[in-house]
Amino acid sequence: MPSLISRRRVLQGVLASVPSSGILANQFLGASLSESAEASPAETVRILMPAPLADATAPAVRKFNLRHRDVQIAVTRGPLDTETLSDLATSSLLLGDSPFDLLLMDVSWTARYVAAGWLQPLETLLGDDALAGMVPSARLGNAFGGHLWRMPLSGDTALLYWRTDLMPRPPRDTQELAAMARALQDQGKVRWGYVWQGRQYEGLSCVLLEVLHGFGGRWWDSQTGRTDLMSAEAHEAFHWLTNLVRQGISPPGVANFAENDALQLFLTGEVAFMRNWPYAWQLIAQENGPVTGKVGVTPLVGAPGHQGGGTLGTWGLSLLAGSPRPMGAARVIRWLTGTDVQRDLVRSQGYAPTWRSLYEDGSLQESHPLMEVQSQALLHPLVRPLTPLYAQISDVLQRQGNALLTSTLSPEVALARAQRQSELILRAAGASTDP
Amino acid sequence: MSADLLPLLWMAPALLLLGLVFLWPWVHYCWLSFHASSLLTGLATLPNGGANWQRLLQDGRFWQDALQTVRFAGVSVGLELGLGLLIALLLHRPSRGRGLLRALVLIPWALPGTVMALGWRWILNDPHGPLNALIQSLGRSPFPFLTSPSTTWAFTVLADVWKTTPFVAIILLAGLQSIPRDLEEALRLEGAGHWTVLRRLQWPLLTPYVSLALLFRLAQAFGVFDLIQLLTGGGPAGSTESLASYAYLQAMRFLDFGYSATLMLATFLMVLVLSLLWLGGMRLVGARR
Repeated sequence: MPSLISRRRVLQGVLASVPSSGILANQFLGASLSESAEASPAETVRILMPAPLADATAPAVRKFNLRHRDVQIAVTRGPLDTETLSDLATSSLLLGDSPFDLLLMDVSWTARYVAAGWLQPLETLLGDDALAGMVPSARLGNAFGGHLWRMPLSGDTALLYWRTDLMPRPPRDTQELAAMARALQDQGKVRWGYVWQGRQYEGLSCVLLEVLHGFGGRWWDSQTGRTDLMSAEAHEAFHWLTNLVRQGISPPGVANFAENDALQLFLTGEVAFMRNWPYAWQLIAQENGPVTGKVGVTPLVGAPGHQGGGTLGTWGLSLLAGSPRPMGAARVIRWLTGTDVQRDLVRSQGYAPTWRSLYEDGSLQESHPLMEVQSQALLHPLVRPLTPLYAQISDVLQRQGNALLTSTLSPEVALARAQRQSELILRAAGASTDP
Repeated sequence: MSADLLPLLWMAPALLLLGLVFLWPWVHYCWLSFHASSLLTGLATLPNGGANWQRLLQDGRFWQDALQTVRFAGVSVGLELGLGLLIALLLHRPSRGRGLLRALVLIPWALPGTVMALGWRWILNDPHGPLNALIQSLGRSPFPFLTSPSTTWAFTVLADVWKTTPFVAIILLAGLQSIPRDLEEALRLEGAGHWTVLRRLQWPLLTPYVSLALLFRLAQAFGVFDLIQLLTGGGPAGSTESLASYAYLQAMRFLDFGYSATLMLATFLMVLVLSLLWLGGMRLVGARR
């Protein structure tokens, strides 16, 4: 039975995930949130960040502010939830005169924000080769239409966490994963085999993207700019995922799990495998609970004969249109996305860096073994469809995917509906190509 | 100044405020619902005839959400009226500590909706929530309350009923207290019991208060957003999505403001029609009496 401590932690997680109703209200009222710089220097560059990244970069912001007199950084801690942060940014942008100069953006927002005309190109400020020193996968989703729109700060991809005390090695494919999980459950070593994110939200789109690719299928055809969900591989992928729940390898509650729900259950020691982002590594290490020191990480696996991969979930800084401080903002972007700050973020938070030089830094690799796995995972990144209509087609996939998991639809029907509804959205929009 | 204009002058500040916060947004929504304003227009607002309304009629998700919203509003408001009346009758009876009880009853209503929704999400958490802890302490497996459309819907209604029944109870209690006590005493002297007093005296005189509570609650239930957004996110599989959630999604996530305005107007029209039907019905009943 889960301990009281783990319950407390889940409650903390639930409270931490408060979408920003209050924050939105404050924003509408023009109230300012906690800021790291109160003084009014020559120029203050204001940034909106999700709370965890605002906390993680706080030392770097302080360092910058101490070193520079002419430009200061003021960070607004936004909501924890990715989409709610976008809602907050959207509210401020719709009001016209955004109080922010920079926005720390999820990779999946970029095309939409560009189409809305909310971003300023960065190449004139940072140079055409700004991304040149980065690993190839970290460059994805930042530049299109001949412009650079975003400088990535982290190169995170989803990973597979496994229990080193229960198995000698991680699974090599999905078949092994299910078999190993089932065997451990049968032996009574764990209650559940595999936890992941099945709630109707963006996290489920990432999981479905990974499973589709892991079985040789795909969500999006970048050549035609259309969804491609009616393949035999997609059927097989959806069947595998459904069977995880139907066969009891994953708990039925996984259909309502977000990242934190999966992590909290994994921390109790009742689970063999977990799909999550790199942030979980640091939390598992700090937990000092039943699984501390007994967890390994590996790239997500695919079906036998297919390459697995994790969704690219990078965060990056973009310059908002209308910012009167582009030069100061460019200096801040250079600093916060630079190698010094990213090295500190690896050490303090375990975030995957984007610079090639950091992956080649032997001492860093030695002190942070997770980097080796992250570097492998970045060889096969899965990029979510790069289209301004991404939010719509992701919403369709989430609804149908969740219907599949809650047993209200068969895989065939869920896929057919997702394909048909996505086609309708794309056709109605007259969009068939990438931005 | 003529006597006819003077009242208008006194009411002018209130009318101006109403115009600003109600009429202007309503007129703006009407105007926007006949325009395309989305990513495809670069967020520019361009006239599109009645395309948004045509789309609404053919949008299966709108009709599904409309049905879900009507069902949610009908069941939750119905339960709130029944339970609210029961609580109001109990609180109306002279008893020790009645003042304290009246204050206690209001606590759920006083809680912010977001806090209440998060509280329920925690209570229903699988497997760590208190409800599942209770189930597990009885030797049973934890139950995934928020993964089945039917249980999720039932708990969404329960959460709403828990929060807003006190509001209905207080309105009905105010109604009960406005009934002259000598009428009740006279009826009781003639041998009437509790049921007869309720049916023949209290209920007919409570009707305006019931109407008031119902209209307030109907409008709120049709616009339910925070509870859905935080407790279920519209899931599982969109089965608890309300019209307000859908409109929010269209505006904030899809950046389709023309269609979002159309959805909100359609919701408004539905509430308006239902309210007029109720008021018309009440008038008919009153005329028969």
